[in-house]
Amino acid sequence: MEKFTLIGKNMKRIDTAAKATGEAIFSADLTLPRMLIGKALRSPYPHARIVAIDTSKAERLPGVKAVITAQDMCGDKWGVFRYTQDQQFLPTEKVRYMGEEVAAVAAIDEDTALQALKLIDVQYEALPSVFTIDDAIAAGAPQLHDAYPNNINVHVKIDVGDIEKGFNESYLVREDTFSAPEDAYFQGEPYAVVAQFDQAGNLEIWMPNAGPHMKAKPLSNVLKIPLNKVRVRKITIGGAFGGRSEISPADVICAFLARKAHRPVKIVYTREENTVATRQAHALVTKIKTGVDREGKVLARDITCHMDGGAYSSTGPIATSVPFLCMEQAYRMDNVRYNGYRILTNKPIRGMYRVHGRAFACGIDIQLDMIGAALGIDPLTMRLRNARQTGDYTPTKSYVASCGMTESIVKAGEKSGWKEKFGKLPPYHGIGIGCNSVQTGFPMGIRGGSQAFIKLNEDGGITVITGIVDNGQGNDNMVVQIAAEELGLTPDDVQLISADTEVTPSDPGSYAMCETFIGGNAVRLAAQDVKKKLFRIVAGEFGIGVDNLTARDRKIFVTENPEKSMSIAKAVRIALSRNESISGEGSYWPNVDPKREWVKNPYGQLSETFSFGTVIAEVKVDPETGQVEVLEVTAAQDVGFALNPQVIEGQFEGGVAMGGQGGMLSEFLQWHEGRVLNPTQFGYLVPLAIDMPKINNIIVETIDPNGPYGAKEAGMSVAMSAAQAYCGAISNAVGVYFHDYPITPDKIVKAIEEKKQKENAEVPG
Amino acid sequence: MKREITFKLNNEERKVEVDPGWTLLYVLREVLELTGTKEGCGYGECGACTVIIDGRSVNSCLYPILEAEGRAVTTIEGLRAASGELHPLQRAFVNEGAVQCGFCTAGMIMSAKALIDENEKPTEDDIKDNIAGNLCRCTGYVQIIDAIKTAAGGGRT
Ligand code: FES
Ligand code: FES
Repeated sequence: MEKFTLIGKNMKRIDTAAKATGEAIFSADLTLPRMLIGKALRSPYPHARIVAIDTSKAERLPGVKAVITAQDMCGDKWGVFRYTQDQQFLPTEKVRYMGEEVAAVAAIDEDTALQALKLIDVQYEALPSVFTIDDAIAAGAPQLHDAYPNNINVHVKIDVGDIEKGFNESYLVREDTFSAPEDAYFQGEPYAVVAQFDQAGNLEIWMPNAGPHMKAKPLSNVLKIPLNKVRVRKITIGGAFGGRSEISPADVICAFLARKAHRPVKIVYTREENTVATRQAHALVTKIKTGVDREGKVLARDITCHMDGGAYSSTGPIATSVPFLCMEQAYRMDNVRYNGYRILTNKPIRGMYRVHGRAFACGIDIQLDMIGAALGIDPLTMRLRNARQTGDYTPTKSYVASCGMTESIVKAGEKSGWKEKFGKLPPYHGIGIGCNSVQTGFPMGIRGGSQAFIKLNEDGGITVITGIVDNGQGNDNMVVQIAAEELGLTPDDVQLISADTEVTPSDPGSYAMCETFIGGNAVRLAAQDVKKKLFRIVAGEFGIGVDNLTARDRKIFVTENPEKSMSIAKAVRIALSRNESISGEGSYWPNVDPKREWVKNPYGQLSETFSFGTVIAEVKVDPETGQVEVLEVTAAQDVGFALNPQVIEGQFEGGVAMGGQGGMLSEFLQWHEGRVLNPTQFGYLVPLAIDMPKINNIIVETIDPNGPYGAKEAGMSVAMSAAQAYCGAISNAVGVYFHDYPITPDKIVKAIEEKKQKENAEVPG
Repeated sequence: MKREITFKLNNEERKVEVDPGWTLLYVLREVLELTGTKEGCGYGECGACTVIIDGRSVNSCLYPILEAEGRAVTTIEGLRAASGELHPLQRAFVNEGAVQCGFCTAGMIMSAKALIDENEKPTEDDIKDNIAGNLCRCTGYVQIIDAIKTAAGGGRT
């Protein structure tokens, strides 16, 4: 008999039929009786003092039911950490970026709401602004917040081993700087919120979120109502990619408007608002100095990274750390120093992004290529010589329980024909490789663990109750698949109640790839708890030991004698008639070091396990136009164990599109004095179907000792390796290493031109 | 000044009071409560609002409602068979893993339907061209293309 019936097989996701028929309800699709439309008034200045706000005209406009300003709130400041509380949901004193909310209205329809915004009179006193990292840290620069002198918001310092000694012993040392502007998340669904209060003062609220509990707490704080009165409800979510992680001013504004108007309110962001006023990804400048021995093994690394964080802290300490942490997981580096600075500027707020820090990851990887070229070692071998291994500790002291880094490099190399191709391709044809690693969660305080409940119905079906949220990646299905597998049920026998703060227990949320590992383990334990109780009943009836039973096909049967069985429904009925509880409970707390802290103590177990990935890309460059044609991409990742291969392949492909195709060829935000010039697809250029290359997927399984069934996470390491592969391939095709991303056609044409000039100058005569 | 227009919506004759400034998307979502058609941008750049009008796929966010007079409009809600069975495209999208967050899905399926209604054996390039106006941030399009191939009878099952 096969070990599993559902796990490890392609399974149709339980949520997708409703999406394919248009029946799935997203936040903007909700309509409630007497619902109003809310709109926010946004600052036209990147930096200005708010002198006065007069809302009287707007309030008098027929159809306007509520107008709010900072006066309606208590001036509280919010932050992800106690030491980063710096953002008011409506600012009292000054605005710090163009597009920041200053007031809001709720009216009977959108036209009236928009008209009312025009009637709000805000007097500003413009202040000098800073738009670049260099300007922000220059002496005498305008300061955004008193709490952050020189506009340095966060400084993460990591120092391990002895880098001076490492450099001294190095055969070759080189230093390079890499940079990239901001990227946009560009989720399919523009942000939207619906809020209403009931007569008892309970808030019901729907919005895209990466963790309902992470939304509920700040709402409870700012509304000054107990947490049990905040009901963040489940709703279909149109993509997150890290950009739906925190409380949004829109959530708070919507709730305040609803409370003031005594009516439900809906706010739907425009595409521009989604780009400007949710989150953006950081711009980065990374300086990397690396020393290696003759074989290309890294002996020392010194990295300084400056990130443009925009106007507020957001997830700053995490964002400043993660690009480094991913790379210290992927590659061995015994002597390493990292200085990460998050700098504040008068630009929109930056958060954690799925492909966080292309100018960091590309820096590390492309520099390995450069060093390899000088030593006569090819890029793939450079990676093998530095790859992380099972049983290692990372520099910041995380134990690596399972690691398929080497296997992913080797397999991607074989599939892509690396050996036959590298150095042997025709002119303007190139191949490149990138590697990375991601966490499956990190210390998240009291919300770091997940709990799940399972209740049985008298027909043998179950209801699973969990805080796990699905942002589109398939988490709902993962829960159903695990519960059904454990209990020998079909997916149809499982009902799911999830991501609702009124009913579902604590869960970290869909952060840092932790849902499969932490939430999945909790659901599995809850199902095992139920199974144990059912087995006890059946074993009693059959007069045998509980160890001799198996659950499959809605039955519990004697493992050695499958003819002898009892339906689960019957076992449930026996339990009911005996008043015996058979509900299940499971909770999982990952093995992370609770004393680890991003800034104060960046050492200790960061995450219980890590995934590892490799991407290889092959490209052809048109030297006249600089256009890049991507011929083939091979994506390999150690996912631990593939719970649902089809879902994993979809994640790999989406990761290649976002990280490589978009992240390295076209996507970046353009600016003029704090204004985003390309907030829409027209200028931003998210990849289209016609852009996409052939993609080979390779699933590497290392069976993590503690993951559910050995699983870790499903595709982030691919997403975070794709940019480097594209960059390496283009550099290989053109014969020039690129330092500034994305590599747009103009940069390629210019590089080819400069290379030719240099070659001509060198030709004697 | 409201006006009354008549058009066929998912095979049913509909009379609707409209403001001449409204788009078809607005009428579908806000007046007729057919929220399966999504708004991803509102100005013709993302394809989330794609519907079929007289056999052609159209961005309904740009389509003036008055233009719909007398025409036949099909939305995602009109695709299921009367028996409730999914349309082959819907089935293929589900089976091939072509749906992740699902925000682009309705628009993708409507674009694909316009294609395969006209061209029974589309090539991969035909499919890519056909959905070139439909943005998907999640999937990288591979499984979407597979699904359309399958529904057209040429792909994996
Ligand atoms: S909503 Fe119509 S094209 Fe984007
Ligand atoms: S499935 Fe999310 S945008 Fe396509």
